[in-house]
Amino acid sequence: MFGYVVRRLLQLVPTFFGATLLAFLVIQLAPGDFVTRLELDPTQDRESIANLRQQLGLDQPLPVQYAKWLSGIFQGYLGLSLSYKTDVWSVIGQRILNSMVLVVLATLMIYLIAIPIGVYSAIHKYTWPDRIFTVLAFLGLAIPNFFFGLIMLFLAVWLNDLTDMRILPIGGMTNEFLHLGNMTRAAQWLFPFALVGTLVYGTLFWLRSRRGQTPTFGVWLGLVLFGVSSLLMLAPLLQGPGLPERLPYTESPLWARVTNVLWHAFPVVIVVGTSGLAGLMRVMRGQMLDVLSQDYIRTARAKGLSERVVIYKHALRNAVIPFIAGIGGLLPGLIGGAGLVEVVMAWPGITPALLEAISAIDVYVIMGLITITTVLLMVGNVISDLLLAWVDPRIRYS
Amino acid sequence: MRKILFLGLLVLAGAALAQPKVFKGTEIGRQGGAYRITSISDPRTWNPFVARETSSTDIISLFLPYLTSYDPYTQAPEGRLAKSWEIRNNGLTVIFRLREGARWSDGRPITADDVIFSATVHADQRVNSNARSSFILDGQPIRWTKVDQYTVRADFPKPYAPALIQGWYIVPQHIFEPAYRAGVQQLQALWNLDTPPAQIVSGGPFKLESYVKGERVVLVRNPNYWGVDERNNPVAYLERYTVQIVPDLNAQLARFLAGDADTFAAANADQVAQVLERIRAGRLRAEIFPNVDVTLGTNFIVFNWNHKDPFKENLFRQVKFRRAMAHLMDKKSMIEVALGGLGQPQWSPISIPNKAFFTDDVPKYEFNPQRAQQLLAELGFRTKNRDGWLVNAQGRVLEFNLVTNQGNTVRERIAQIFRDEARKIGVKVEYRPIDFNELVRQLTSPAADGTREFDAILIGLTGGIEPAFSRNVWELDGSLHMWNLGVGGKRPAKVEAFEVLIDTLMKRGATTLDQAQRRQIYVQFQRVVAENLPIIYTVAPAYNPARLTRLGGMFPKEQINSIVGQAPYIETVFAKE
Repeated sequence: MFGYVVRRLLQLVPTFFGATLLAFLVIQLAPGDFVTRLELDPTQDRESIANLRQQLGLDQPLPVQYAKWLSGIFQGYLGLSLSYKTDVWSVIGQRILNSMVLVVLATLMIYLIAIPIGVYSAIHKYTWPDRIFTVLAFLGLAIPNFFFGLIMLFLAVWLNDLTDMRILPIGGMTNEFLHLGNMTRAAQWLFPFALVGTLVYGTLFWLRSRRGQTPTFGVWLGLVLFGVSSLLMLAPLLQGPGLPERLPYTESPLWARVTNVLWHAFPVVIVVGTSGLAGLMRVMRGQMLDVLSQDYIRTARAKGLSERVVIYKHALRNAVIPFIAGIGGLLPGLIGGAGLVEVVMAWPGITPALLEAISAIDVYVIMGLITITTVLLMVGNVISDLLLAWVDPRIRYS
Repeated sequence: MRKILFLGLLVLAGAALAQPKVFKGTEIGRQGGAYRITSISDPRTWNPFVARETSSTDIISLFLPYLTSYDPYTQAPEGRLAKSWEIRNNGLTVIFRLREGARWSDGRPITADDVIFSATVHADQRVNSNARSSFILDGQPIRWTKVDQYTVRADFPKPYAPALIQGWYIVPQHIFEPAYRAGVQQLQALWNLDTPPAQIVSGGPFKLESYVKGERVVLVRNPNYWGVDERNNPVAYLERYTVQIVPDLNAQLARFLAGDADTFAAANADQVAQVLERIRAGRLRAEIFPNVDVTLGTNFIVFNWNHKDPFKENLFRQVKFRRAMAHLMDKKSMIEVALGGLGQPQWSPISIPNKAFFTDDVPKYEFNPQRAQQLLAELGFRTKNRDGWLVNAQGRVLEFNLVTNQGNTVRERIAQIFRDEARKIGVKVEYRPIDFNELVRQLTSPAADGTREFDAILIGLTGGIEPAFSRNVWELDGSLHMWNLGVGGKRPAKVEAFEVLIDTLMKRGATTLDQAQRRQIYVQFQRVVAENLPIIYTVAPAYNPARLTRLGGMFPKEQINSIVGQAPYIETVFAKE
């Protein structure tokens, strides 16, 4: 096992060189460079164009440019952005974090909703709820993300008009000013409900565990949702009344900023997560059906095990194995951003920055992103393989 | 006692602003309020020596001063940090007097040293500032020297008409000089986006307050600013200026429709309709002015006179051929289909909004396929072959490729309309959109023997208010002399007579100081271009500005123009509520 891990890690080195070299060449294959756009500016003369090329090192031979970039990488320096004139990390760092907010929330949403629905659909195959989920899944898969994003924006405008309130944000990640007063009042109003919910589910949980039963998924979910909500509302309840009605975002307390970001993220996460959710739901259903028709399930049922145990202990555990292999793919996805939705809904994630870098041919910004993604992809694959060996006793690495 | 205090305050105010600039707004406004706009992309830097794109310079211009600019009402030169000027030596020398008492936001005075230092850095070849071309005239430097603490002098190698327009940004010497001494890289690293906004010193109407990457730039009023309104109240009126970064045009529209942005420029008829509908539904208190002007941008077709195929080179050099092509441009359809009905036909190189120099009295080769056919017949293309294409006596088919940059839907549609009309009379036009950078390469990089590979390109240039700044397009050795490009900064090998005339007119226009004479020169220039069509202009998109009615100090409809925008000065815009 140890030998396998070492071998896999060693393989990363040539893969890294190959991948980055290829990326570098592909970027250079595209016609023009960072300076090309300026050539159509009537106020620029030949001399300053040539000067600029020289200054940015774009006139040097490609091997030299690549070697220079690589020597920076070994010192942990991603290079200098041609258009921002600062190092690449300070251009993309914050944006990767912003994108991660979306991707993490969307991934959570996908897994938390898709797996239960998939299991439910498989167990209740061809019933009306299953058919409805199937239709919804196809819809979700069919709508392109960016278009759904636009629909969501106009939905937000329409909803806000209808209620004459700010129910949904019109794009963006934060507001310039935060209405702390509104947030505090909302928390005061909602807190009792959350508290009651927590108590109800807490009691259920306690009752079940006292009877020696494992709590159901619903109880878990209810307890977590209500419990976390009540905890989150403690901060505005305690701190809120003493604060001014309205403060600029940068001066607001952490809880207000987090709430504001989550509020903005809500419609975006729905848009980003829908297609993944729909896809995963179908895959889960298929997996589950596959497993449920296996002999050992029939054996388990024949033994007289309860249906719950058959489904959750025998079927589900086997059905989720393929998803473990997908976990490694999530890692590069985390920094890859949420795609065009970010552009459409003005989320300051990595996609708009990457698109700008590509259209401006800001080589090192593109290379920086590719490098980080490549490394994470490789590491993620190793992790997936190891996880697989761990959950599936049939797989052995030697 | 109170009176004395008041007088004392007056004296103090007088000392602080000895010679303020009076900003004549459209109305007297009130202090306070916020102004919120959207921008399609993030700024790249706060450093004016590094900035190259409008997303950066639009913000820098709010916090860094410049000597002079255009009067928004008359488009004549107007003093900003320079309170007055004097022209000597038959226009070879201009002496600018600065506003005494003007201060940076950190309290230091803005003096001739700041101006001279900034000029030195902008002119430094190693720095490669975007404004460097303002310091060179035909290869010779324009020299800037300090006369006294509040006077600077510019010496030009030859008389220069735009000499009074000095719009490069002036930086605080006490901040930039140590970095400049340490080296160009240190200078360029200064005032980048990670610099804390509090460290950015302002000499303009606003100062930087905060920047959240990908989200917004917030500027607040600079209390040390050297401007007042006509009643001597300090400007800017606005307390806060927010630029929201919204990278998608539809999302920008959504922000405006929701009342979250104060101004918006509708890109097409569809967006205009959406804004109008919302105003009519009573959901948005705003005004929109569709087609009130056209934008400065141009779209034109240029043929390659340096073609490696001698047949095509000869064809493209025929003025009859180019006129025939002009006759094939259905500008009415182009406006209807490509611009959604909002726009104007363009016939000559000076943009329509540029009232000081624009003339409509030029030869126009209007849409007329019969006339085009006739002209092509005069060139020998009289018969059609079996496939229906025009051929000459030697059997050569009249064909060429037309390319434009991919993704620009307006240009793509214009190109398609042109192709369809040309094909109707038997001209075999193959249209293909290609990558922008590839297009620039084909256009600007001739092979060693001076030939280029393209046939025809549909492209545009952003126009400006000063025709002399486009000399790289029109002078024979210019780097953007697109139709007939020389190699290595030299004149093209084979030059037509009218090109020499254009070159002469451009040079004369740039060195003539009398405004009326200048206009005459540029009117003639437009006529020569329109008649000989080295560049065949198509249509100019409309300028459709919209704004919330909560804003005051804005232009009435008749005065709105795409050069200045919706308000004469940002200093005199205010929030009514």
